[in-house]
Amino acid sequence: MRRFWLVVLATTLLAPAAAALEEGKPAPLFSVPLLDGNGTLSLADYRGKVVYLDFWASWCAPCLVSLPLLEELRREFPGDRFQILAVNVDRDSEKARRFLGERPVGYPSGADPEGRVPERFEIETMPTSFLLDGRGVIRHVHRGFRRGDVPDLREQIRRLLAQDAR
Amino acid sequence: MRRSVLLLWLLAPALLGTGCAAVKPWEREILARDDMAWDPDVLEAQRQAHVYFSKEASLAGGGAGGGGCGCN
Amino acid sequence: MRGERQSQRTRRARLRRRVQSRRKRARRRRARKALQALTTSALALPGLAGGAAAQSREERFTSEYAYSFYSEDALPRSKVTAGGETDRYQIQTHQLRFAAPIADRLDLGLDVAYETMSGATPWYVVPDADGDALQVMTGASIEEARTDALLRGSYHFDSGQASLAGGASFENDYLAFNGLLEGERHFNEKNTTLSGGIGFSIDRLEPTDADLDPLRPTKQHRQNISAFVGISQVMGRGAAIQSSLTYQHARGFLSDPYKRVLVEGTPIADSRPDARNQLAWLTRYRQHVSPLAGTLHADYRFYVDDWQITSHTLELAWYQSLWWSLRLIPSVRYYSQSQAAFYGPWFDLPRADGLYSSDYRLSPYGALSWRLRAETAFSTWRIDWRASLSWERYLSSADLALGKVAIENPGLVSFNLFSIGLTARF
Repeated sequence: MRRFWLVVLATTLLAPAAAALEEGKPAPLFSVPLLDGNGTLSLADYRGKVVYLDFWASWCAPCLVSLPLLEELRREFPGDRFQILAVNVDRDSEKARRFLGERPVGYPSGADPEGRVPERFEIETMPTSFLLDGRGVIRHVHRGFRRGDVPDLREQIRRLLAQDAR
Repeated sequence: MRRSVLLLWLLAPALLGTGCAAVKPWEREILARDDMAWDPDVLEAQRQAHVYFSKEASLAGGGAGGGGCGCN
Repeated sequence: MRGERQSQRTRRARLRRRVQSRRKRARRRRARKALQALTTSALALPGLAGGAAAQSREERFTSEYAYSFYSEDALPRSKVTAGGETDRYQIQTHQLRFAAPIADRLDLGLDVAYETMSGATPWYVVPDADGDALQVMTGASIEEARTDALLRGSYHFDSGQASLAGGASFENDYLAFNGLLEGERHFNEKNTTLSGGIGFSIDRLEPTDADLDPLRPTKQHRQNISAFVGISQVMGRGAAIQSSLTYQHARGFLSDPYKRVLVEGTPIADSRPDARNQLAWLTRYRQHVSPLAGTLHADYRFYVDDWQITSHTLELAWYQSLWWSLRLIPSVRYYSQSQAAFYGPWFDLPRADGLYSSDYRLSPYGALSWRLRAETAFSTWRIDWRASLSWERYLSSADLALGKVAIENPGLVSFNLFSIGLTARF
């Protein structure tokens, strides 16, 4: 009887538990082709910079609202210390390219139609973005996007840049 | 008896998993389409409900949400 | 001298009587229109009629307009009493809707509808010499206008939303208020959603005059409360299902004051119970079919109430996406209802409970309607537009009912409904 319950316990505990990706954990490294097709987007290339990693899709209304606002935010900080990276999860990347064609942004967007990267980052809602410090550690997980989020994000980025400067 | 119960424990997660597999937040492209909404055109839905309610005996029903983009 | 004064008095008296009777007729007409409005338009507001379900967050300012023209078929002469009006109702409706995000998690919506109605309506039913049913129609064509307004605020949480809505309906001598509180909560990575809500409606006739002869003078108000619960489940990347239960309790003056019933050869006032309990179970399914670039909508509703009416509704629609952002949506709807316990085309014997109605809306019948809608979308500057055109043809008859019907109510309605709409998002 005891052996029975031991097996029960074992199967329940050993069942794959979601390793929650939270602040303080290192961001998973990934590499995806760029949306415009000219090269790849590798997170490792941006070690040393504060990175704002944004997951977006052309079918996600708040994502589309966030794009021009993020572009404005990007321009407020020095490009050698702060970088915005985007990963687009459209199954048909052409839709994303068409959107960016009409409303271009100054930061690179990678294409992940298979959704492998958002899976590794355990995205819970669209859009979700991650603020990473210079060592690639997640310092803030931003779920959803609302216009009023910009001042808070600006403050977080500023603080991270100040910390990393030391 | 013990062996069959053990078998059930090992198979249960697999069996439950083959039910409605959760659609991930980044996989909701089709669900976000407006023709996948419960009422793609709000004015039309209101108009239809009003017409049928006035001419028939029944209560309209409806009102629940869910589905869609799941954004924010 | 005396004679002159006398004739003056009689002339004045006659004039007074004429003015009085004219005023009385006008009052009666107003009261009749108002009470008619009480019964036909009450609960027509979106919140309680179940039209618009909880909407997802509005990211942009949206304004929508729709115009529709509703025209009932004239009754065949064979179904109407000799010399009776065969033309029926016509309604023109303007609908306006505004919705906008206000703060980060709050959005506001305003719905306004303005309707003008005219035409004759069924009054009561009589048997002809062969025992077939004939419709007696109201004589004069009634012209009315009604305005509805509904204000709605929604607050969005991370895993759900809550909404509060309040509305009013106005007509000359008629006023109604309604309110609705509803919410939804997501579970299971937003694959499962639980919704619920409660609502109320209070309908009042602003009394113009106590003299409402020959109409029922006593009750001119009614209230109802309603509640619903619903669950929706994402079935796959391109499929979702939703099921909801709605309950409504109505109390007050529920009869139609301008309808009569022939009881033992005499037309008496439509007499319905003071209370009604209604339950509707609606299940909806959405399935996208990628290789066909189309989406299937299938809705089924089961309805039952304590007036002994049960009904079934099945609605199927196919959303076909075509080139140039054009979409064609054919749909079909089948409806069948059983009769109310106290319904009859006429009554040869009295009922113990004193309840009677010969209103076709409480009679057993079935209805089939098909609809075709065309939509297109285009963008100018930063505005996304949507335009639509639709036509619906609705036919009802006893033959379409699921059960057997002994005598078809001659007042069953068939109509055409045309509408055009325009939406702007910016």
